[in-house]
Amino acid sequence: MSTASNIPSDRGLNLRMFTTGLMLVILYGAVVGLLIAFGISYVAVLVIAGIILFCQYWFSDKIALFGMGGRVVTAEQAPQLHGVIDRLCALADMKKPRVAIADSDVPNAFATGRSPNSAVVCATTGLMRRLDEAELEAVLAHELSHVAHRDVAVMTIASFLGVVAGLITRIMFWTGMMGGFGGSNDSNNNNNGNDNAALVEMAVLVVSVVVYAISFLLTRALSRYRELAADRSGALLTGQPSALASALVKVTGEMSRIPTRDLRAAESFNAFYFTPAIATKGVSLSTILSTHPTLEKRLDQLAKIEAELGRPV
Amino acid sequence: MGLLNTLLGRTKPVQANLDSLFGLPSAAITLQSAAGMTTSGRAGVCYKPPTGQGFEDMQAEVMKLLTMDGEGKLRTAEDRYGYHWVVVENPDIESLVTQVHLVNSSLSDAGWGPQLLCSVFGVATLPDSAASTADSPPGPTTVLTSTGFLVYLFKRGTFYPFVPDGPEHRNTEQELKLKSLVAGDLAIEADLDRWFPLWELPVG
Repeated sequence: MSTASNIPSDRGLNLRMFTTGLMLVILYGAVVGLLIAFGISYVAVLVIAGIILFCQYWFSDKIALFGMGGRVVTAEQAPQLHGVIDRLCALADMKKPRVAIADSDVPNAFATGRSPNSAVVCATTGLMRRLDEAELEAVLAHELSHVAHRDVAVMTIASFLGVVAGLITRIMFWTGMMGGFGGSNDSNNNNNGNDNAALVEMAVLVVSVVVYAISFLLTRALSRYRELAADRSGALLTGQPSALASALVKVTGEMSRIPTRDLRAAESFNAFYFTPAIATKGVSLSTILSTHPTLEKRLDQLAKIEAELGRPV
Repeated sequence: MGLLNTLLGRTKPVQANLDSLFGLPSAAITLQSAAGMTTSGRAGVCYKPPTGQGFEDMQAEVMKLLTMDGEGKLRTAEDRYGYHWVVVENPDIESLVTQVHLVNSSLSDAGWGPQLLCSVFGVATLPDSAASTADSPPGPTTVLTSTGFLVYLFKRGTFYPFVPDGPEHRNTEQELKLKSLVAGDLAIEADLDRWFPLWELPVG
């Protein structure tokens, strides 16, 4: 008997995540099929997108740390932070990631790095200032769960298709602007070949826009599920779901009170953040576009775990 | 299974490995004969208490069981990281290990094995070793100047030495000496990153 049997794994979440992943794979297959049908001239696009994403993946720790102004700290510089992470890693039997602190008053934390071996967990000074020890521990457990789930790798692979479709759209658009899409009103005599080529180009453009839109929505959905999964694993690791819940409430409440300048500077890293730093006014964008689940959803899940833990054995 | 867990974004709680603890009595004998050291008779079990009545009940039951056992002294403590400690005092190393094992296995059997962090055993230089070395040259040199600890990592099934000398400062040299002394009897944690410091130990 173990905690695993005390707390059943969340089948609904697993199923939703699996379905989203499956749809991405199907979309992927369809696009590769279309590319082959259209001829292999788009292999170059695939290669370019592959190189871009590989760099993003391989240097993810350096890019994110540089972007956030985070610096790696030693155990002597930040004994408390290291102490918490040391213990969480020993509990979860995982390799200790590097620990970084970003001088920013936006209360947030993120985990990055291509693999658990090169992972970095970073907390902002604003986060450490606002949260008490149990809450900070809960947030760090959430971030360590991202590392254990290899979320940087998963999300990079998942977003590959979107990047490809985006590239194709842009290339088609530029060449279309320069060459003229229709070409049928030219003073030269039209021939069928020219018409067909234009049609094919239009079709590719439309297809890639559609693919881009679908894969965008799917990766956002996947990202939200990964967040819920990290919340869940993190809460189980510390055994204190309510600490994570109160950290979430504190941080999301504080986020909207911070000047927008800071928030906009942080936006591009949302996918790996603890809570998104999007400066929305009033009602947010439709939740379908968001990288993080709504606060309500996250709190609901944590309350459920709390109830499961509290059940007498 | 690892790939599936990655795809579904989940982690299995890691169960504790309790068996390697029983290497300690033989390590204690080695320490005594090779370096004039003895276990301090104090040990602690450290765990992360999860929320909820289920755990509280179980904790109270374990404490009752241990007190009924009658041997040795018992107390609990909480450290500044929010972890709980059960500190056991017993001069006999065999029964000390048995008592610690009882705490561990009760938690683990109740389904809370994943919450176990580590067990800590105190090691100290024998009070009379200085005297005995005087008349038996070239007797064992004193390895420890202060109390050292052997930390047992439940999730790894390994030990590592921890010798604090002063606030937030550890004596790495003495730790390595202690390690080489017990390396034959105990499984030592090979990854030095996992030798994390435990300041302000309630085991003392």
